[in-house]
Amino acid sequence: MLVDAVRAEGFRLSKNRTALFWSLAFVPIVTLVIGAITNFVLKGSETKILGDAQMPAELKEALARGTLDMGEALVAGAGNLANPLVLLFVLIGAATIYAGDYRWETWRLISARNSRSNLLLGKLAVVAGLALAAMALMLVAGVAENLIKAAVFERTLTFSMTGEMVGRFLGFAGLSWLRIVQFTMMGMLAAVVTRSLLAALFIPLVVGVAQFFSPQMLMPMGVLPDAWLSVLINPGAAAEAVQAVIEGGARAAALPDGMALKAWLSLALWTLGPLALALAWFPRQDLSKE
Amino acid sequence: MTTVIETRGLTKTYGTVRALDGLDLTIPRGGVYGVLGPNGAGKSTLFRILLGLIRASDGTATVMGGGVGDVAAMRRMGSMIETPRFPPYMTARQVLRWLALEHGVAAEADIPRWLERVGLTEAADRKVRGFSVGMLQRLGVAGALLSKPELVILDEPTSGMDPPGIQEMRALIRSLADDDGVTVVLASHQLLEVQRVCDRVAIMNRGKLVREGAVSELTATGERLRLAVRPVERVAEILGAKGARDGAAVLANVARAEAPALIKALVEAGIEIDEARWVGADLESVFMTETGHQEMTHAG
Repeated sequence: MLVDAVRAEGFRLSKNRTALFWSLAFVPIVTLVIGAITNFVLKGSETKILGDAQMPAELKEALARGTLDMGEALVAGAGNLANPLVLLFVLIGAATIYAGDYRWETWRLISARNSRSNLLLGKLAVVAGLALAAMALMLVAGVAENLIKAAVFERTLTFSMTGEMVGRFLGFAGLSWLRIVQFTMMGMLAAVVTRSLLAALFIPLVVGVAQFFSPQMLMPMGVLPDAWLSVLINPGAAAEAVQAVIEGGARAAALPDGMALKAWLSLALWTLGPLALALAWFPRQDLSKE
Repeated sequence: MTTVIETRGLTKTYGTVRALDGLDLTIPRGGVYGVLGPNGAGKSTLFRILLGLIRASDGTATVMGGGVGDVAAMRRMGSMIETPRFPPYMTARQVLRWLALEHGVAAEADIPRWLERVGLTEAADRKVRGFSVGMLQRLGVAGALLSKPELVILDEPTSGMDPPGIQEMRALIRSLADDDGVTVVLASHQLLEVQRVCDRVAIMNRGKLVREGAVSELTATGERLRLAVRPVERVAEILGAKGARDGAAVLANVARAEAPALIKALVEAGIEIDEARWVGADLESVFMTETGHQEMTHAG
């Protein structure tokens, strides 16, 4: 039963403190610490920066006293939840989940009593939950960092959240979640095909880097960044395009015609493609060679 | 249902190697059933197919009345094949809790009882990364039994255990069959253990079934005359191919009618006979005969 697989996989992950630390806690802690240090350093140099005509206006604006809207900060934070650092460290937990049974040779203990598709989907459900937890902790770290910022720069805290902002927040968060799950899906396929934890970790990273640089590689061949091929092979760029659609306004208007459709198809392809391949491969796999 | 496992023409090939070669095997419900065979006989391949870890190249296998992969049927079975491994960051108690969740059984309350039955109560809250092979075996057995299965498949359940541990495991296996009504199918290389604990055995060689039957039937045939004699080397010489050393004695492969003449000849040859008695064949000798191995002789 799928619910058994989800509960068991969740229980197993809850006991793996190493995977939990690296995939959930590390990035929020680093973000918070670096953010706090940056605020204190800027505060220490405040007079110098404000008096220096060559300093960027954004930096001066950041130092200027005023109000800090936590609602705006939350929405902006939700749009940045699938940043490369989060992707990388959630992938550590995902790789442990997807490849753990190969590494610890535990498939033989569990595979007889549940269908293989349930076992794999159970892992996917737990990774999806892990992505949500990582995002929630990043948002908490963002709130904490803003509280420190407000204290250091003596800003007044406000909280505004209009219906439109709620929509944007949910849209950004949902997109970030999809992007994280989609990225880890390559880890699932790599784990099933190679039976290797390292492959589950490094193959998505290598593919992700290649996708990031794909526009530069395709341009000399005459493939423009908004062409079907370019968007379909680069889900990162597709996620940015969908985010622009969610944000609306000038950013959405600047998107080329048909870009949103291409972007959604790219995300669907990179999410469902690896899942379908893994689900097709896994039931036929010889699990005696873990 | 009177059978728990049934295979018909079960075949598994790896390239040109036939690990299983048209195996027909019927394992009845109840008791302890041993599957014996030398390395490469196909025991592990058989178990792997029965557990759905690998697919057969040909033939059929049914477990608890359902095909391999029939989850409802497979859920009535517990198993431990080869030396089990577990996530090393978990304690023994957590491993059982995890397996209970995987198996979809509410066995939380039973975990202390199973830990006690396999002798791991004191190690219950220790991480399994520090466990010996014997302790891993015990935990594997507990995991296989947690869901109260009707059939348990155990591959080398006493591997890596010390003599007291082997004795405890033997008692546990017997108790499962006698008290809990569980059918236990086990593979082991320790033939004396198998003889002590199993009701029936199947002897496999090169992927085929070469002998099957109740242990009492298999060991009833092939009785031999055990002679505790001095000097034992001299008697071994006299008997030639009809004798086999067994420590300070010789096992003479002679018919009952020939025994008086043999003893008379030995006495006349100046041999001192301390004891002469008929012994049934042990499982080891049956195994050696059926698998085409030379009987082991002991240096005495």
